[in-house]
Formats: sequence, C-alpha cells, structure tokens
Amino acid sequence: MEKNFIIAGFGGQGVLLAGEVLANAFMLDNKNVTWYPSYGAEMRGGTVNCEIVMNDSEDVSSVNKNETDFVIALNQASFDRFLPKVKKGGWMIAISTLVDKIQSRNDIHYFFAPMTKLADELGNVRMTNILSLGILANISSLTDADSLVKALENVIPPHRKNLLPMNINALKIGYEYDLSLAKA
Amino acid sequence: MTECLTKTNKKVLTKGNYAIANAAVIAGCECYFGYPITPQSEIGEFMSGKMQELKRAYVSAESELAAINMVIGACSTGAKAMTSSSSCAVSLMQEALSYAASDELPVVLVSVMRGGPGLGNIYPSQGDYNQATVGGGNGDYKLIVLAPATVQECVDLTYKAFYLAHKYKNPTILLADGLLGQMMEPVEFTDYPYPEVDNSSWALSGAKGRPARVIRSYAPSADDQCEFLKRLHAKYKLIEENETQWEEFNTEDADIVLVSFGSPARNTKSAMKQCRKLGLKVGFLRPVTLYPFPSKRIAELAQTAKKIISVEINMGQMIRDIKLAVNGKVPVELLNRPVGNPPSVEEIVERIKKESEEL
Repeated sequence: MEKNFIIAGFGGQGVLLAGEVLANAFMLDNKNVTWYPSYGAEMRGGTVNCEIVMNDSEDVSSVNKNETDFVIALNQASFDRFLPKVKKGGWMIAISTLVDKIQSRNDIHYFFAPMTKLADELGNVRMTNILSLGILANISSLTDADSLVKALENVIPPHRKNLLPMNINALKIGYEYDLSLAKA
Repeated sequence: MTECLTKTNKKVLTKGNYAIANAAVIAGCECYFGYPITPQSEIGEFMSGKMQELKRAYVSAESELAAINMVIGACSTGAKAMTSSSSCAVSLMQEALSYAASDELPVVLVSVMRGGPGLGNIYPSQGDYNQATVGGGNGDYKLIVLAPATVQECVDLTYKAFYLAHKYKNPTILLADGLLGQMMEPVEFTDYPYPEVDNSSWALSGAKGRPARVIRSYAPSADDQCEFLKRLHAKYKLIEENETQWEEFNTEDADIVLVSFGSPARNTKSAMKQCRKLGLKVGFLRPVTLYPFPSKRIAELAQTAKKIISVEINMGQMIRDIKLAVNGKVPVELLNRPVGNPPSVEEIVERIKKESEEL
C-alpha cells in the first residue's frame, strides 16, 4: 500500500516542518517514507508545499505523483491549486478560517476545520500546522497521536524543547477534534 | 536533529545533503573545502559545524576554483578530502579534475545537479551526466562516477566514493541531483564498511628519512607520456572489470528494458512493476556506477530485448552510452524531462503501453 500527502500553505506557516513531523511518525511506525519540498525562489508569505509518500512495502517510493490521497491546504491558493490533484475518494483537509468552503468536486471528501481559531484558543496561532496533523491522523488512521508525539520529540531541536508541550497539546486538539463538526 | 553526528544503528529521517555530509565525516573525511551553491548548500553548512567540532579542516573557499585546488593539495598528502558543488560551479572545476586524474589523486567531489546550461536554475536535473562521465577537462582521463537513487544510497555511495578514490588513486564523483539533495528519508549510518587504503608509498608526507617525491602532471618526453597514458588506462580497465555496479529486475524475458539512474530510476522501477501487472514484458536496469558504465550487461540484454528506453531528466545524455553498448542491435529511445521533477509513473506506463503496441 502506498499513500501520499501534500501539505501546502504560506511560507512561515510551518508547512515543511509539519511534513517532516508526519514523515518522522511514519518512520517510527516502521513504514517506508519519503519527504520532499517544493523549492524554488521561495519566500516568507509566498506559497510552499511538501509531499510525503508512505508505503509499507520494501520498495522505494515513487515521486512526483499525478494524484494525491490527502491534501492539507492551509491557504486559499493551496486549496485552489491542489484540489484537482486529490485522488477520487481522497481527502481535502482545509483551514476553514482562511479558505472558502466551496465544494466544487463531488468525488472527494472535504473536511473544513477552523484550525487557526483552535490554535489561537490554545494560546499560539503558530501551532496551526501541528494541529492539522492531528486532524489528518484521525481522518486517515494511517498513523496515530503517539507516533506523532514521538515524531515531534525527534524534530523539535534541543533549544526549542520548551515548545514541545504546546505542540503536543495542539496535536491532541486536532486529533480529538470532532469529525462531525466539519460538516456544519 | 540532523545537525548532530548520527552514527547509530537506528534509523533517522535525514535530507540527502546532510546524509552525504554525515557519511563523509564517518568515512573519515579530514578536510572539506567548499563554496555554497543551491541545491547542495546544506553539505557545506553541516561541515562548517561538524568538522570544527571534530578538529578537522573546514575552509569556506573564496571560489569553486580555489576549493577544488585545495582538495588537490590535501589529497597529495594522502588525506581524505572533498568538496561539493553543483552544475555551473562544477564547470569551474574541470581543469583541476583533469589535473587530479593525471596526478592520480583521490579527490572526492559531490555534484548535486541543478538545471543548466549556464546559470540555469535550481531545480533537479541530470544535465551533468556528460560533465561527470566524459568531463570538461583536457586529455584522456576518466573519473569514477557513482549515482545514488535514495537517501540511504547517498550514505552508502559516499562511503564507497572515498574508498574507490583511495583504492584506485582516482578522482571520484558522487553524482546526485537537487531532488535527492533536498529529499528526506529514513537512513542508517553504519560504520565505514571499507578497509583503510595504505598510501604510504606515494603520499607527500614529508621526506625525512626517504628520498623526496614529486607529484606532477607533466611528462616532457613523448615516450614517457605514452607509457603514462598506457598505465593510466590499464588502471581504468581494472576499474571497469572490478567496480561496475548496477541493479536489474525482470530483465530475463523483457521485450522492453527501461534504463534509468538517480532519482528518476525510482519512478521507472515503479512503472516497470505496474506494466508487469498489466502483463507487459518490461524489465528495468539501473546503473549505480555511471563510469564504469554497465555496457557489457546492456549489450547482453540487447540480444533478447526488442527495445531499450532511457529515462532521464535532461535532453538525452546517458542514452549515448546505451547506444554505444547496444551497437545498433535494437532501437534505443528516450523518455525525458528537460529539467525538474522526474516523469511520473503514469507517464512512463503510458509510454510503455504505446511502445508495446508498436513492437
């Protein structure tokens, strides 16, 4: 089984970091995983994305996929750009505080959550990226909160370890977010 | 996390560039000289901290020209030394590489390819296959060229690059691309798996108690130069016999054989597997060493295959080596992206379906 994920948003939202955490979680789950960024003349405030390909076979993952199983869109530009790439039956997980809830495709699943609002209530809007991973883990069932917490411990550097508890909180709020709320 | 030296038997998620740098440190690289360029700057960044920490030499050179010549200087003392760079900046090193080949020095160069020609862009590319395997320096020389396709191979082939460079006293290139350099995958950093090569018979280690030695790239007599070139090429023949490395799958009964190296080999192999599921007789061969190139094996496959397709991120460079190996026996076609990410699996599968119908 091979599944792929795109996490996309503004430069500065922690899109690449969120991808690194997710990839680490898959590694800790003993899966094969590949992470690669879109890179070019990127800048803070511009759009940025990374793709994570996970598989549970011995094989090396292929890259540059035509279609995606899961997209996390953290801004409108990313939502618009990656909506056509979502695989039939796949998921578009979007930030409802920044994205118009227009569902122009009926062959995919949508999930809108007010991630910036939730992160803000937690005390730091910059936790949005990690919060979105919790939602993704819950929806996809391809990894869980435990692996993601361990992944956070791997990824957050020693001099930023004071931010670990808040990140773990954000992860849990995302993971425990009531999926039925998103339909409203 | 990747800033720490990770010589553990535990998997860590690491970028290709950090993997190469850390592997070089574990391989015993004593000197790093470099000048930053995207998409390989993380190598120099890592080395700038790690080499100082280990009390080894790190010099941020004033140019690529200086960097490669510093490597020549260090290597002439028998040290394990390296530089890393990319495309347009590797162009600046061609003269030095020719000298290093002639001086028979164990220079290790990591070349993380980006778009070209000229300044090009910073996207992944394989446009320097020719630059690495044929070279831009003068004279009849060869460089050993190793091409990783995964981040783990960035580690394993970095180890191997140091070993082969010293074993054969020959400049060796690790040829990666921007995608591999920026990609993260779980890797294991094992101990350096090769024996240390004794260089006491030639290294410029100080002439106390022995006659002075000279390493030079100059033979004023025509006869001497003839002898030198014959000996140099006998060494290349030995390298070809001993060190040609590739992997292949499902080639025995294949009508179409796909050949690809580096990052596009990943999608090519996946495409081969999908085609097999569709009942198409497709095989896959990946050269791991680009010099020496697995020409003999490809020539053998041309006896049974009906067509060979080269999958590359350039306008078709490796395809020339394949054609030389095949020597007109079967058609050799190109499936390429000029620059950027590799052709997708679906794109390769579609092409094979079409080619199969035409067989």
